[in-house]
Amino acid sequence: MDISPILDGFGVVLEPTNLLYCLIGVIIGMLIGVLPGLGPGATIAILLPITYGIGPVSAIIMLAGIFYGAQYGGTITSVLLRLPGEASSVVTVFDGFALAKQGKAGTALGIAAIGSFIGGTVSIIGLTLVAPVVAGFALDFGPPEYAALGILGVLLISSIGNGNKLKAIIAACIGLLIATVGRDTFTGAERFTFGSLNLAEGIDFIPIAMGLFGLSEILYNLEERHNKVHSPAKVGNVWPSRKDLGQAKGAIGRGSLIGFVLGVLPGGGAVLSSLAAYALEKRRAKQPERFGRGAVEGVAAPETANNAAATSSFIPLLTLGIPANATMALMFGALLIQGIQPGPQLVTEHPDVFWGVVNSMYIGNILLLIMSIPMVGVFVRILRVRPAIMAPITVLITLLGAYTVRNQVYDIFLVIVFGVLGYLMKKFGFEPGPLVLAFVLGSMIESSARQGLLIFGGDPTGFFTRPISGTVFALVVIVAAWPLIRKAIRRKPTDRVEEKIS
Amino acid sequence: MPTSRTAPRRILLGVVGAAAAIALSACGGVKTTSSGGGEGEYPTGNIEFSVGASAGGSTDLITRALAQGIGKELGVSTPVLNKPGANGALNAKELQAAKPDGYKIAVQNASLFTITPLTVSAAEATKIDSFDVITGISRDDYVMATSTQSGYKSIDDLKKAGKTIRYGTTGVGTGAQLASALTFKSAGVESTAVPFDGGAPNLTALLGNQVDVSTMQIGEAIENIKGGKLVPLAVFSQERIPFLPDVKTAKEQGYDVLVTQYRFLTAPKGTPENVKAKLLDAAKKTFATQEYKKFNEDNSLTPMEVSPQEVLTSLQNDSATFKAQLDKFGINLAG
Repeated sequence: MDISPILDGFGVVLEPTNLLYCLIGVIIGMLIGVLPGLGPGATIAILLPITYGIGPVSAIIMLAGIFYGAQYGGTITSVLLRLPGEASSVVTVFDGFALAKQGKAGTALGIAAIGSFIGGTVSIIGLTLVAPVVAGFALDFGPPEYAALGILGVLLISSIGNGNKLKAIIAACIGLLIATVGRDTFTGAERFTFGSLNLAEGIDFIPIAMGLFGLSEILYNLEERHNKVHSPAKVGNVWPSRKDLGQAKGAIGRGSLIGFVLGVLPGGGAVLSSLAAYALEKRRAKQPERFGRGAVEGVAAPETANNAAATSSFIPLLTLGIPANATMALMFGALLIQGIQPGPQLVTEHPDVFWGVVNSMYIGNILLLIMSIPMVGVFVRILRVRPAIMAPITVLITLLGAYTVRNQVYDIFLVIVFGVLGYLMKKFGFEPGPLVLAFVLGSMIESSARQGLLIFGGDPTGFFTRPISGTVFALVVIVAAWPLIRKAIRRKPTDRVEEKIS
Repeated sequence: MPTSRTAPRRILLGVVGAAAAIALSACGGVKTTSSGGGEGEYPTGNIEFSVGASAGGSTDLITRALAQGIGKELGVSTPVLNKPGANGALNAKELQAAKPDGYKIAVQNASLFTITPLTVSAAEATKIDSFDVITGISRDDYVMATSTQSGYKSIDDLKKAGKTIRYGTTGVGTGAQLASALTFKSAGVESTAVPFDGGAPNLTALLGNQVDVSTMQIGEAIENIKGGKLVPLAVFSQERIPFLPDVKTAKEQGYDVLVTQYRFLTAPKGTPENVKAKLLDAAKKTFATQEYKKFNEDNSLTPMEVSPQEVLTSLQNDSATFKAQLDKFGINLAG
């Protein structure tokens, strides 16, 4: 492989202007990642006009910086405020927030930053060396494969919760039902829209996550505060110990790999990767019951995986001209505005853009790691702010964030509705995680399964005879049967896991 | 625990209510500042362009290019606001209800008025009578393509294949679906539609050989056509498209299928004549700039900068033709 364009790419990135745009991008990204709801998508849309004035390479370097910078920032709210800004950080909330409650927010954030850096960097190296090969792999995944992966994902959800299994399954079912809201993409028939155009395209992930996680937590705490003497959250160590790092090492390694591979898949790649990385760590753990109660690996695995996935999701865009997610669609638009058509010709026609962007990510990741270290100390202090002050600010930012997704007041009401639902769920001991994840995977399963059936001419055996989807379905069977198998091997009475509410 | 049952609830309601109120008044605030006020000669304030699609798509990019030009001509800010939902119907409904003062306008797609009504209930269909058209903008044509491995070169090859052709579309009620359905019916080719949620997954499925052919907007396919990964089979315009001069139209191949997407600038019904004239003038000046012409070329868009009357006639003709053709072949787009 000819490495001179790669080196030229470094030359492009190291130009002072491009370095500056890279820095601006990652700083903006990190900050908006911290603001719940206001995701990289909305930010890039707002900043699009600015890119008219600057060169294509600088513009894309900056926008890319916003995108992966937001992945770092998003962790902070997931851990500190229980607010996952993206579907791919929902899993981080479980152990991240638990760690924060134990006064170990610094540990969680530190591990997440290191994991993100390693995951991101591994993924860029992969992008540099094997992008075209991996892009071909993405194309081997058709609707049947996505259907299989989605079902595997839902199965994993039921195994990751720590509370009552039955309640987790009920919550997941509700999530699947919510996913059916909206105009049927195959026939145009209205489903549960009650004649409202606002519901025609279904419900967005943001209002659901913001309501079920963020708002519900605040509502619940308001009640708690009156019931017991409030003690300010402890803020212990701000940096992970050697022991924590040792514990997270394996999770970071495996998370990088899972994230890179699954991130290439357009659609649910990032969500699946964080879910799979978490589930894998829990399965491997000697004491799986630690998970959900503040396991360091439970933060390291999904955070590493979702950063690796964010990076590898550039592969379909840069090599095939296919945007893998909504934010990538914006990048696509930004490139078009600059008169550059992303596609198979990009590497040869615009090597400066391709390698400039790829190489800027090495630098951006280093910048983010350097920034994260002092920031962890600053952000952790947020926990010292009295809830009476923090709660209304969080609510306000959450609602504004939800508004920016579609510029609809309607979405603000949705957040409130889901906030109340989340509050009630918590009161009755249901976890929001399974609901949200099942919701995300639900629409993917439905449309992929139906597309698959159309492709097979209505014959469902096709799902099992195609090599990849067949393998995934085999995996589904193994995962589903695993508890039975294990029981048979151990023959040990399973003690009921006590329901955890707080 | 039951000691303070009511207190937290009241606080809770208060907080939620206050937050909602703040958020609402914040939005209200934005609206009043952007609608410029009635004094002085139009425009005295920002002109807001709303887009009924997500940022990054063709409608969004066209709106942004046009808004930038118009803003420059009129010397005001032209913020672009994305309001995706229901294929653009949500945005249309909002625009329809806005004050007809020229401070809230939008680029809209022909398909929302000509094809979508064929798949949704009459009450839900958006009607062009609710808007004033200011000018036509550009045409965004469709191409039917197949992957290189399939070996097909024309529509007749599909006919000769003698099997059920599975074709990808960019969704129900889109021009991509209509053009393919009409072509296969009139060619007598057995076929099944596989709708995808937009252009990207449709293209992915075609490149990955999950479907036999796909119809999509030229801008979505052209890079992969140039890169030799896709083979174009037909375009659905009246004449050949300058961006793909070697590709025969469906008509040339003997199938009378004319489906094209075009966009036009609209304002709420009842916008004053002088305001419309100002906007038209600014749009015309924008169309004439080198920058805008290059934008069209980069995005494979054919200028269709025609009068409002011509836009309305096109919309009416298309609606009537599509309906007649669907009835003739007994096609139901909603499957």
